Amino acid sequence: MAEQVAGHFESLPRQAHAARLGMWIFLGTEVLLFAGLFVLYAAYRTEHPHGFAVGVENNTVVWGSVNTGVLLVSSYTIALAVHELRRGKQRACALLVATTIFLGMCFLAIKTGEYLEHFRVGLYPGGVGTFYRDHGEAGTKMFFTLYFCMTGLHAIHVVVGTAVLAFLLTKVLRRQISERAPHPLAIGAIYWHLVDVIWIFLWPLFYLIPGGNP
Amino acid sequence: MSEATQTRETSARGLALTLLALLVLAGFSLTMRFVHIGAASYFVGLGVAAIKAALVVVFFMEILVEKVTVRLAFAVCLSLFALLIALVLADVLTRSVPPLQNPPGSAQRYRG
Amino acid sequence: MTTIDAGVVPVPRELAPRRETYLNVAHTVKSWALTTDHKRIGVLYLVTTVLMLALGGSFALLLRTHLLTPAGALMDSYAYNRTFTMHGIVMVWLFMIPSIPAAFGNFLLPIMIGAKDVAFPRLNLLSYYIYLVGALWVIIALWMGGCDTGWTFYTPYSAHSPSAVVPTVFGIFILGWSTIATGVNFIVTVHTMRARGVTWFRMPLFVWAIYGTSVIQTLATPVLAISLCIVGIDNWFDWGLFDPARGGDPVLYQHLFWFYSHPAVYIMILPAMGVFSEVVPTFSHKNPASYNAIAYSTLGIAFVGFATWGHHMFVAGMSLFDAAAFGVLSMLVAIFSAIKVFTWVLTMRRGSVVIRTPMIYFLAFLFLFVFGGMTGVATATESLDVHWHDTYFVVAHFHFIMVGGTLTAWLAALHYWFPKITGRMYSERWGTVAATLVFAGFFITFFPQFLLGNGGMPRRYATYASAYQPLHVISTVGSWILGASMLMTLGYLLVALFTGERAGNNPWDSRSYEWYTPSPPPKHNFEKEPRFELDPYDYTVPAERMHG
Repeated sequence: MAEQVAGHFESLPRQAHAARLGMWIFLGTEVLLFAGLFVLYAAYRTEHPHGFAVGVENNTVVWGSVNTGVLLVSSYTIALAVHELRRGKQRACALLVATTIFLGMCFLAIKTGEYLEHFRVGLYPGGVGTFYRDHGEAGTKMFFTLYFCMTGLHAIHVVVGTAVLAFLLTKVLRRQISERAPHPLAIGAIYWHLVDVIWIFLWPLFYLIPGGNP
Repeated sequence: MSEATQTRETSARGLALTLLALLVLAGFSLTMRFVHIGAASYFVGLGVAAIKAALVVVFFMEILVEKVTVRLAFAVCLSLFALLIALVLADVLTRSVPPLQNPPGSAQRYRG
Repeated sequence: MTTIDAGVVPVPRELAPRRETYLNVAHTVKSWALTTDHKRIGVLYLVTTVLMLALGGSFALLLRTHLLTPAGALMDSYAYNRTFTMHGIVMVWLFMIPSIPAAFGNFLLPIMIGAKDVAFPRLNLLSYYIYLVGALWVIIALWMGGCDTGWTFYTPYSAHSPSAVVPTVFGIFILGWSTIATGVNFIVTVHTMRARGVTWFRMPLFVWAIYGTSVIQTLATPVLAISLCIVGIDNWFDWGLFDPARGGDPVLYQHLFWFYSHPAVYIMILPAMGVFSEVVPTFSHKNPASYNAIAYSTLGIAFVGFATWGHHMFVAGMSLFDAAAFGVLSMLVAIFSAIKVFTWVLTMRRGSVVIRTPMIYFLAFLFLFVFGGMTGVATATESLDVHWHDTYFVVAHFHFIMVGGTLTAWLAALHYWFPKITGRMYSERWGTVAATLVFAGFFITFFPQFLLGNGGMPRRYATYASAYQPLHVISTVGSWILGASMLMTLGYLLVALFTGERAGNNPWDSRSYEWYTPSPPPKHNFEKEPRFELDPYDYTVPAERMHG
């Protein structure tokens, strides 16, 4: 993604628009990828409201909430990075991108710790583990299986997003991305924002909403 | 970037305010976890999430700065998601017969 | 008098200068393997999909031959199950979905809008390799014995089947990303790379078809990806996402699967319709009866097609409310196809119709697609479907559409654009004979299957009651005729590749934009920035006016 116009485009704005349109459509496909799992959650919660409520109650809300804060701040830092880049503040931009990457890695570290905590109490996907001896409802088993699937798929996207930002950081450091053609960083940033948006929905569904069933 | 888009992009102050709003809303929904409001907790939890998502999409992702095509594309994706969830939930909610506990093929593992 | 064969006059070798084309610009393997030229990528897809058609077709012949006798002539039930599963998978994902869009779409889309290439040429090449890797995984799965769940992978059986489920779904999962990448590429190309003067309502209708297809494939495929992901997880790790004992619901799998797979059939038919939207005006020497009708009905199919998936689930345990909703929505989507059929037929009216091989395929398509489409409307009626579901009636219906519709269009495209892609003409005599045999072979294979299904013959059964044998035998003989005619087609086209008469820019005297450029085109499509003087279907003026 060099600053110069690629041979088949007639101008840089055209090329930038094409890149942005392509990225937004791709984000739409990512939303639809998660959509299947969100649909399963909605349907299964409707079929097993109490089992799911038990799941929410027994989930590690502190870890999950800290992670929410981490991602929200990381969204801010990458948005600010693009903002600074547009004003020609190359160093500030690089610093902010690096911070975002660091926060992304924090998220993954916390997530790993959280999974280890689950395993410690005998909580595994597929309804496997000693945890289910005292919480054996079918709905609770499904809750945690979906939990591992959805947060797992999300974590994969955090890894990918972090890698993409790291790649873009090298380009920022080498001035291959600058205020003259900031769109590569901008589109990397919106991918990161989507990862944040997905977590914005995962957090209440898996940690917060106790639901109506007593 | 053209002058027109430059004025519509979120300012540094706007970004900071958005983060503040996001954190406040997050704090609010975390508090609500410990308050028992029954079925309304779905609306509160998901409603707050929707507002936070909208803040990110509008102020961080700057979707309003994008051309109409982009916004239309994203809107279509969301509509399809809505369509899928609506008709699946409609199925689950309007079935009059409870689902089979052990449908054929699930009872035993097949051994070739 | 039509000048339709005007471009076919052979030019003496000594007078023809050696013109640079996308084919001869470089000859190395590397120049093909690492090409970012959309035309070469289109050719790569074409060759690969032909191989996949041969593979899927071989399975079909095996199945049909096995069904000659009630007890089954060739294999046991487990092998039969794996054969029909792999037939479906190879045909749907390795052949049908890329057949027209990835091969012809890639080749023609940029040319038709006056662009030098697609929006993301390197992504385009990557798409091809992702497709190849996915296809390879499916072949690995085949080598491991194949999957036996049916191409639909229904739970709970897919979660427990001991067959090669995981490598199969893994392969299709990978393929899906190729489809998505191509879809994104094409959508962005049409939005951002049209040449000056090529507005949305002044571009060839094939572009509209590919655009509509790209919208569907981009949006639907991710849902397939996650559905297959879950099938793989359930089969490999036994997480029981659809296991009722652990809170699951098998019907939900079907919702997710069909949410993709119904739009998938529109991915397969829209490009076919796009081909005929080009062929019919050209061979009628007349503009389409209504350009807008075709364009808008394309969008109609693309969007309304997303809302109809539950008609595959009438007897699955879905609620009656949903069944009713899906029934109504399914009727709605048929209207758009009907609009197209009427438009094509009205286009021929008062035109100077010339019958060449592509047009023979159109006539076959007209009959078979309408037949198949009407049986589709019939099966979308729940009260009828409860009798036909999972019988040969449904099998016949979808083969009428997919073979009688899409394969016919693919064959038409192959012949229509053969001169543009290769610079040579095929033998019209062989084309006529083969097209007739394809039609006859197809009809003899699949019409009896309506009767079989209506008479109660279930689908996916390796053995059957002896009363069904006569119809099965007729169907099998038809399949041999169909197979032979396909081989014949491959034969004379290969011969034409090396010895066919050289074609000019515009052997069909068309007005569509791909015919502005030489056959085969140069590497950058146009010698200078294209100015399309005419509308793509303006037959009121002679062809000379195309170049100002």
